[in-house]
Amino acid sequence: MTPLARPLPRPLIGFVRFTDRLNYGVGRFAMYLLFVLMAILMWSSISKVFFNPSLWTLEMTQFVMVAYYILGGPYAMQMGAHVRMDLFYAKQSVTRQAAWDAFTVFALIFYIAVLIWGAVDSLGYSLGLTWDGFWPEIGRLERSATAWRPYLWPIKLVMLIGFVLMLMQAISALIRDIATLRGEVI
Amino acid sequence: MPQEMIALLMFSTMLLLMMTGQRVFGIIGFVAVVAAVALWGTGGHTMGFSAGMKLMKWYPLLSLPMFVFMGYVMSESRLADDLYRMFHVWFGRVPGGLAIGTILLMVLISAMNGLSVAGMAIGSTIALPELLRRGYDKQMVTGTIQAGSSLGILIPPSVVLVLYAMIARAPVSELWLAGVIPGLVMAAFFILYIGIRSALQPHLAPPLSAAERAEITWGEKLSTLKAGLLPFMIFAAMMVPFIYGWTSLVESSVIGVATTVIAALVKRRFTAEVFEVATRNTLGISCMFMWVILAALAFGAVFDGLGAVKAIDSLFTEKMGLGPWTILILMQLSFLIMGMFLDDTAMLVIVAPLYVPLVARLDLGIPAEDVLIWYGVLYTMTCQIAYLTPPFGYNLFLMRAFAPPEITMGDIYRSVTPFVLVMLATLALIMAVPDIALWLPNTVYPN
Repeated sequence: MTPLARPLPRPLIGFVRFTDRLNYGVGRFAMYLLFVLMAILMWSSISKVFFNPSLWTLEMTQFVMVAYYILGGPYAMQMGAHVRMDLFYAKQSVTRQAAWDAFTVFALIFYIAVLIWGAVDSLGYSLGLTWDGFWPEIGRLERSATAWRPYLWPIKLVMLIGFVLMLMQAISALIRDIATLRGEVI
Repeated sequence: MPQEMIALLMFSTMLLLMMTGQRVFGIIGFVAVVAAVALWGTGGHTMGFSAGMKLMKWYPLLSLPMFVFMGYVMSESRLADDLYRMFHVWFGRVPGGLAIGTILLMVLISAMNGLSVAGMAIGSTIALPELLRRGYDKQMVTGTIQAGSSLGILIPPSVVLVLYAMIARAPVSELWLAGVIPGLVMAAFFILYIGIRSALQPHLAPPLSAAERAEITWGEKLSTLKAGLLPFMIFAAMMVPFIYGWTSLVESSVIGVATTVIAALVKRRFTAEVFEVATRNTLGISCMFMWVILAALAFGAVFDGLGAVKAIDSLFTEKMGLGPWTILILMQLSFLIMGMFLDDTAMLVIVAPLYVPLVARLDLGIPAEDVLIWYGVLYTMTCQIAYLTPPFGYNLFLMRAFAPPEITMGDIYRSVTPFVLVMLATLALIMAVPDIALWLPNTVYPN
């Protein structure tokens, strides 16, 4: 395909580069959470056998696991780790694949947008937000119904951040596909 | 629109959209949230997110990244090389012996890991080149590795049975025990098939030459047996504390990781590169799994809200008047067909919540507390077969990625046929004689 006269607008290219770098950094951080997970679980088994079992380990590992895969999701997308049903897809040329993706990625974007919508509502509930005029006011904080009773807003905030990063990564993929269709490389 | 029509529409839309090659989790999630918002308006929009909170509570799933990491450490640091050598010297003299050794190798790897990917990676990096070099038929080789590695999800530990346990609300320990004998029976059937086939057609799987056999001394034979200690140690380190109830399943999987890493360190094969590759790929695979499950849980929640299970149940039993066994067989058949088209993770989380409550309602003449344990084994075997059946078999694609170029996709497709038949025979046997699966858990946990 011949390159068009006008290249993609610079802000779009800047957005793609920024998103890729940001999500690479966040993903590399999330990658090492695996060892935090192992450390907590090791402590949990040791404390169970030799001392009193700890109250906090079970839920803490659950929180770390959520952060691990939600924050790692965009980096996994960069690596191409998310499976595709590629019976037909794999046989197409690179431009055909980009054309398909540029169209079907809207399904993915829609899904993540609804996830963000739900996350915002749920986070608002956890913080007990009430809207008094322009500024929200923090009310009763939601706690988990267990013996340890941790607050739930931090993990919901992490999920919200992860979903936003995933949305940025999906849009970045869309811009890249458009660039491919126009014969450019970002 | 009647509810079973909506359910059917959702299902077919999802299948159709998946064909476009977009990321699977995006498609499942898209269909789920569109249906949720269309059916329940702004009350339905939180369903996608709630699935995330529900998934957080699925504690046993934490063992998934552990088993993935362990599998990568094992294959990247080539821990299984010595094991392969052991089977090579012991079984090399009979026709088909190396293929039989490969199946046994896979059984041992399955006992150390809960997924089929580890066996696949180890089989195709160690056994595949060696067997091809020795003049084994390429279809024989690829079929053996694919079928053997699929045992990883049936022989404990098994991540698939963990997922099933969460859906069926059945104890993981009993499910794992139930998988042991069927897994060994299946492995025995594979070996029987390879043995008979190689005896009839020795050119497909030639034995070692006399000169090579003369080179193998009894001293070497005995010294290779030391390699067998490793899987035994890893298995024991994981399973003993778990079965005695000292540690939870997830904690045991971490002990498994620690043992594997120590073994790799002792052999001086735990390099910085092994660490980087294992850590990075663990993130990739875990994220892939978890995002698909996240989306599929939302999908399942919409299905639940529609009462799809009840609708299907009444369709079978009341409107069509089918007997319980006919329904069970129809379910397995439909599961097998869906397995040909659906991604395996998606199938796990979408089909299981649909079928498990249905099985619990069927009167099959098996005690109520056992029926879901037994079905867990059937279900896992069906997943194994689904891994291997074209066009969308997970193991088929992995094999393609690992195999040298002279092995075509057609070779790979044809190579699995006899093994799939053997697996179907095993499946039928376990259906006919449930005690094969139930004897061990009922002996260990008499109630």
